[in-house]
Amino acid sequence: MLVSTTINGDVVEFACPPEETLLTALRDRVGLTGVKEGCGTGDCGACSVTLDGRLVCSCLVLGAEAQGREIATVEGLAEGEKLHPLQQNFIDHAALQCGICTPGFLMAAKALLERNPNPTETEIRYALAGNLCRCTGYDKIVHAVQASAKELRQLDKKKQRRKKSKK
Amino acid sequence: MAAADIVGKSVTRPDAWDKVTGGRGYPVNVQLPGMLHGKLLRSPYAHARIISIDTSEAEKLPGVKGVLTAKDAPVRPFNPVYFTPIGCHSMVQDMVLFSDRVRFVGQPVAAVAATTEAIAEQALQLIDVDYEELPTVFDPEEAMGENAPQLHEASPQNIAKNPSFEVGDVEAGFAEADHVFEGVYQTQRVHTCYMEPRVCVIDCDAQGHFTVHSSMQHIFGLREKLAYALDIPEGRVTVVKPPYIGGGFGGKLDIGYIEMAAALLSERIGRPVRIEHTRHEDFISTARHPIKVYLKTGVSKDGTITAREAKSILDTGAHATHGSEVIMVHGMFGVVFPYRCANKKWEGYTVYTNNMIGGGYRGYGCPQGCFAVESQIDEICEELGFDPIEFRLKNAYEQGDPHPFNPAWNLNSYGYAEALERGAAAIDWSRRQPAGSETGVKKRGIGLGTQGVWVSGCMGFPDIYEHTGAIIKLNADGSADLASGTVDLGSGQITTLCQIAAAELGLEPEQVRMSYADTDTVPFDAPTHASRATYSSGLAVQAAAADAREKLLEVAAAMMEANPQDLEVSAGRIEVKGSPGSAIPVADVVRMAESPFMKDTAEGPQPSCPPEHKGTIMGSSSLAPPENPSPATALFVEVEVDTDTGEVSVLRCVYAHDLGRVINPNAAEGQVEGGMQQGIGYALMEDLQFDTETGTCLTSDFLDYKMPTAMEMPREIESIFVETNEPSGPFGAKSLSEQCVTVPAAAIAAAVYNAIGVRIRELPITPEKVLRALGKL
Repeated sequence: MLVSTTINGDVVEFACPPEETLLTALRDRVGLTGVKEGCGTGDCGACSVTLDGRLVCSCLVLGAEAQGREIATVEGLAEGEKLHPLQQNFIDHAALQCGICTPGFLMAAKALLERNPNPTETEIRYALAGNLCRCTGYDKIVHAVQASAKELRQLDKKKQRRKKSKK
Repeated sequence: MAAADIVGKSVTRPDAWDKVTGGRGYPVNVQLPGMLHGKLLRSPYAHARIISIDTSEAEKLPGVKGVLTAKDAPVRPFNPVYFTPIGCHSMVQDMVLFSDRVRFVGQPVAAVAATTEAIAEQALQLIDVDYEELPTVFDPEEAMGENAPQLHEASPQNIAKNPSFEVGDVEAGFAEADHVFEGVYQTQRVHTCYMEPRVCVIDCDAQGHFTVHSSMQHIFGLREKLAYALDIPEGRVTVVKPPYIGGGFGGKLDIGYIEMAAALLSERIGRPVRIEHTRHEDFISTARHPIKVYLKTGVSKDGTITAREAKSILDTGAHATHGSEVIMVHGMFGVVFPYRCANKKWEGYTVYTNNMIGGGYRGYGCPQGCFAVESQIDEICEELGFDPIEFRLKNAYEQGDPHPFNPAWNLNSYGYAEALERGAAAIDWSRRQPAGSETGVKKRGIGLGTQGVWVSGCMGFPDIYEHTGAIIKLNADGSADLASGTVDLGSGQITTLCQIAAAELGLEPEQVRMSYADTDTVPFDAPTHASRATYSSGLAVQAAAADAREKLLEVAAAMMEANPQDLEVSAGRIEVKGSPGSAIPVADVVRMAESPFMKDTAEGPQPSCPPEHKGTIMGSSSLAPPENPSPATALFVEVEVDTDTGEVSVLRCVYAHDLGRVINPNAAEGQVEGGMQQGIGYALMEDLQFDTETGTCLTSDFLDYKMPTAMEMPREIESIFVETNEPSGPFGAKSLSEQCVTVPAAAIAAAVYNAIGVRIRELPITPEKVLRALGKL
């Protein structure tokens, strides 16, 4: 079946069998290999993307369900050469090793910070508990998310100040 | 940046940018034109004879391009482990790709290649296999009994291997002891849980040459084993090194059924074939072996260990594979070596059962030994009133002692005592209370686990590969390309090896790039395993860099009209020592050597540098390290035990480790923190479970197989690196990775005892076991 959807802001069409997962469609039909399969059963979070802003495991969503909706993947985080603060902080805090889980963590962390810009450490750990990592022990990931939260709050304040001064 | 500043700096990983923007360099992303998808049909029985296989219906399915069964596969028995040569006597050779007999649930019996995975999956359902069920045995001690079913004709009583070791007079040692302690310590089967599934894409071309892409920890081992299994010369196989793989931890250290099947299917069909494990297939393909250790230790009044005797029973499952070597490493490094003692005796049994085949996993037999030995030491200290730190120091090796593994070497750098001392200070050991003395429902405890002897690679093992090489080529822009067969599993070999090369060459770290490698183009390299990459591959990279630097300085000397020995190179510039004004960029020297141009002089055109210095400036190495220096480690943990629910929480870890020298602090901390995750999982929750009647895996997804998430991890993990500057290592470095996962179970078990005063000798320490130990169940 033909699916028409928006991925990272681009209008994309792909054809896939009705039973195919969004994970497979993104990787094999659209070529977005940042989405990783760690388990195929929705338990590891490596395939996390957002569907209309909501964090999902793309292995538990059908490709067909993307019809007419908006998908965001790790490939859409950076603006050109400028990395998203989460991406930059993952690099600066050495919050990745093998990197298979990294796209999923970035998407989950982004979803967290959008709904809770100032999370406690426990809230970060809780929000990321659906993402498994076998290399890092999560410590540096948590630190990277904390640093990103702070940075994004500051950016947000600046934006608001600019808005006020314009008024 | 000067060499001294490069080593010890948290240089950013060169692969980090790619990994945060999507990560393209993994084998799981390899796609080739015309590629087919393969699937394996696996046995539902734990032990059966195959009477017949009918594949005719599967072959008729549109899209199916090939089906393989036992009749199509070579039958030379072999051992799939990468790091030993084919035919090596210590490794039991008992595997073939497809046999007429299956010995565990999930053993492949046939393979299909089709145009899509879905069609391949569908075709598997159409293969009709007629099995005759045979009696099964799942307990290794039962398997050793007289009446147990025999799984391999060559191994009576299902004993695949039975090594032993004896030194001194154990009976006299026990007679000399004032106290004798005996205990049985049982560990469970756990999975490495690398996040990238095992995958391969294999392409056999029209000349019968195989090009292999695979998520493995050793390109040369894969070449050797695949060629042997297919009964073809090694020269017909090229294994491409992936830029990086998605974790390994020892779980990708052997050729799998998928590589053999994909290669045969590709050869037969003439198209590339890709096979990827499902997570379920990964779970039933490799695991750390469960080992039961019977341990007896004699101690004199003053706290000297006078004798130690042990018996270890390792459940290797249906085939010996890694179990052939794990038993040795477990016995020696896990049980025999760690403490000084004149009288020691150990016997090991690698036993066949109808369980899944065990594999490699970080620590390779040592975590099972460490749990037994360190738990018993904690019991001894508790019973006799010794301080666990003082008791260990009394019986430990000291710097300068002969190496217990090979007395021809000494422990030239050995920071065991310093690790204990600094770790104890950081956790404030003096606040540790007597066991079980806390009141209240939630009780806290502090525990200690150590490992005094481990490896930096495999030098000294008579039958394990341990040589490695590298090629470094300087570019006209002043950068360098490093080619090495060392696979980066994620732990950062790309970064640390580039740092070592840069420090030796006198370049900036970002000027060295890890480039392409395959088995055709780079010197042999042993696997990324055995905590060896920094030390062994690091030495080879350093030697190749030194070779390139020597050539660089020869050309520079000709250009600068100086003696090479008067020159030095640093931060990408070459100068006459002590004369900064003389500096010229490395790039100018390389360009001059590469350039065809002549220099215009008053006497007419002249060569820009002497003809003998024309050409690419490069260096290479292929060497075996001179020694196998031992790291040493001490882990202190604080836990909280909820005596109502039985739940154990690890609150804090202080991990002190002598690694010789830190090359990259961030990468080193990453090893420790990740190691704690694996160690805490091993200690408290991870357990591959099987139906006791059928042998079917019950925990083959992450819903049922529990490993620590960010919530279960302690908020505080402190890494303390003791830098003893190993004389034989690259810039003083030795090893780190495996001890991080070796010690946590023992330390946590000791902390649980300290909290509740009850000893648990069987992993994992689940809430159920805690409540039972407390008499609440």
